[in-house]
Amino acid sequence: MPLVNRFAQWLSQTPPSRMLQTYEWMVPTIQSVHIVAIGVVLAAVLMLVLRIFGVAWRDHSVADTHARFGPWLTGGLVVLLLTGLAMIVGEPPRELLALSFWLKMLLVAVGAGLVAAFRRSLRRHGARWDTAAAHDGRTRVLAVLTLLVWCAAVVLGRLIAYDYVWGSWSAGLKG
Amino acid sequence: MDAAALLATLEASAPAVAIRNSLVLFPLIESFHVLGLTLVFGTIAILDLRLLGLASTRRSFTAVASDVLPWTWAAFALTVATGVLMFVTNATTYYPNPYFQAKVLLLALSGVNMTVFELTARRTVREWDRDPSAPPAGRIVAVVSLVVWISVIVLGRWVGFTSARATAPTDPGVDFDAIEELLPK
Repeated sequence: MPLVNRFAQWLSQTPPSRMLQTYEWMVPTIQSVHIVAIGVVLAAVLMLVLRIFGVAWRDHSVADTHARFGPWLTGGLVVLLLTGLAMIVGEPPRELLALSFWLKMLLVAVGAGLVAAFRRSLRRHGARWDTAAAHDGRTRVLAVLTLLVWCAAVVLGRLIAYDYVWGSWSAGLKG
Repeated sequence: MDAAALLATLEASAPAVAIRNSLVLFPLIESFHVLGLTLVFGTIAILDLRLLGLASTRRSFTAVASDVLPWTWAAFALTVATGVLMFVTNATTYYPNPYFQAKVLLLALSGVNMTVFELTARRTVREWDRDPSAPPAGRIVAVVSLVVWISVIVLGRWVGFTSARATAPTDPGVDFDAIEELLPK
């Protein structure tokens, strides 16, 4: 049995996991909070990308737009991390043995890295984002890519409930 | 045609049959439903928080609205289209579900709420456009909007947990009973 499967079996016997399994309303409630936080994060990323393209928030600089949405983006991601962890504890095999889950984690890591890189660049040369950078093709590609990566993470997150869509590809985790 | 016959007709329609017979269509449609509804809620919330004077207060309401609403409507179109497809696939299962019925009622209420806004605060927007927050009618609409949309999300999740799909996809290579036990929605 693969290590991840043994870990999932062990985790599902721990007291926090047993508690989450006992009360049937807990997992859907945590999922609902997770979805609300996704809304906050996606909207913040969308507005930042639209600002980089000069489509929305044009009367604010990129830095000011980030000052508006950055804290919501960070706060939303923290809520997603906490509710996500709770969902893993609540249903360990469902999450940890799903190919969609691991693909999603990969995209979340890439998305978080792209957001971190954007923020570092904004701190170092904030003013340039309002002139050259916003018209730079590569920057725009990265901006759209960031939005698409987070959207794909949302899609893969929902597909965790239907991991059979991957057919035999997801079998290795269960073994 | 009574409701039961209509539901049966919907469930027998070509798109419904195609979705039921596919392993991947329903999961994909549901995934894009989630993508759409999160964007609807996230963008609407930007506008509601502006009305309440809690965010984006350095911009006029109309500037925020014109930046946000086209994306809200685009996301809403995606959410409705995918929602309709999910409904026709399992119409007889969803229709009597009390959580589904409550969700539809709240969606109608959000439409009423939007109409109330158009008939009240929106009419005098020139007077308060640059104020940090909207007049009372606008702030009430914003609170109702936030409560309604969060409730719609919660009810939607409960619909998923309380309605088994009318017809599970059939594929001899997949043990669906084992999957059902392993993967609650």
